[in-house]
Amino acid sequence: MLNGLNIEGTTPLHRMSVRMKLAILLVCGLALYAMSSFFVLVPAFVIAAIIYFTTGLAFREAVSRLKPILFTILILLIATAYLTSIHAAAESFFRLMAIVLFAGAVTATTATGAFIDEITRLLQPLDKLGLVRAADVGLAFGLVLRFVPDIFNHYQSIREAHRARGLKVRPLTILAPLIILTLKDADTIAMAIDARGFRRPRERRR
Amino acid sequence: MTTRDLVLIALFTAIIVVLGLIPPVTLGFIPVPITAQSMGVMLAGCIIGAKRGALAYVLLVLLVAIGLPVLSGGRGGLAIIQGPTGGFVLGWIVATFVTGLIAERLVKEGQSEVRQFAGFFIASVIGGIGVLYAIGMPWVTAVTGTPLSAVATGSLAFIPGDIVKAVIATLAARAVLAGYPLLHARA
Repeated sequence: MLNGLNIEGTTPLHRMSVRMKLAILLVCGLALYAMSSFFVLVPAFVIAAIIYFTTGLAFREAVSRLKPILFTILILLIATAYLTSIHAAAESFFRLMAIVLFAGAVTATTATGAFIDEITRLLQPLDKLGLVRAADVGLAFGLVLRFVPDIFNHYQSIREAHRARGLKVRPLTILAPLIILTLKDADTIAMAIDARGFRRPRERRR
Repeated sequence: MTTRDLVLIALFTAIIVVLGLIPPVTLGFIPVPITAQSMGVMLAGCIIGAKRGALAYVLLVLLVAIGLPVLSGGRGGLAIIQGPTGGFVLGWIVATFVTGLIAERLVKEGQSEVRQFAGFFIASVIGGIGVLYAIGMPWVTAVTGTPLSAVATGSLAFIPGDIVKAVIATLAARAVLAGYPLLHARA
């Protein structure tokens, strides 16, 4: 139900470390906002497009992922072109598309597990300070992925219950039972986690 | 943070993901179809409170960032956060926190039903609409260069739908408070 948006492959981007990719994305993003010359923005856009379309993503899939965001960008930039200048709108278009395409390429070439490992590693300093428990993040990810199908089943049975009684399926009559039904399990799940000792107890401060 | 809090946060994130899988409904008098997921901010703040609600959204944003298609319509990935509407995605965290903060202050168990409804509605409108747009709209302007006044005018089209969502979230939050109160419960 929740497959990652990444695809397997052996391109240089696939082999690069997650931290490196995120750092490049961040630096490129910030650098592009500082630029306003077409001599930089257009090549950046072309390079990002080449990287995005060579990640091994099927062309149709690659295009369909871009559609919703392209739609928003175009609507906003048509307004911008009308209200300010076509030049400014074109600038924003190339800059935004370059960033969006590169971000899409990072997403397409990074496995979910690798991301979670990297997040856990990045949180280590905070963990040492006692602010966050880095291991909790991985546990929380696991819980979400584990329970989405269950909650979807709850939703389907509530919908069936509506149909069986000839009621219209409305958000209002779905939400309350769905939320109560789901959160009611929290205690049992928490007890099961503690019983298995998944979370090490924090060392007592002296 | 207790294990129970951690589980509540993760379960709420999972609920928000599932709300994105439910087909959007159109209400007769509003042109834009309503996705159940967009009520998540108001629901999270009003039901599990400021801190846990905001953390549920931190988790959701991380799921988006690592490329899981958790948003309605199967959207996800870093491009969503880096794109023009990224401010709304990051704004969800703050908006949920504010919604929760107001709900925790205004709504108490044992109050009259009307006061609870009013409290949840005020929290949903200020947090889920006011704060969210206050972060999302300047972001759009910063990223695309569209003048803020134009972004604000365009956003007006979504306000009637947002008010309806606040009403639905209010009714649902109050039903959950009556059936399984969590807002004030700290383990």
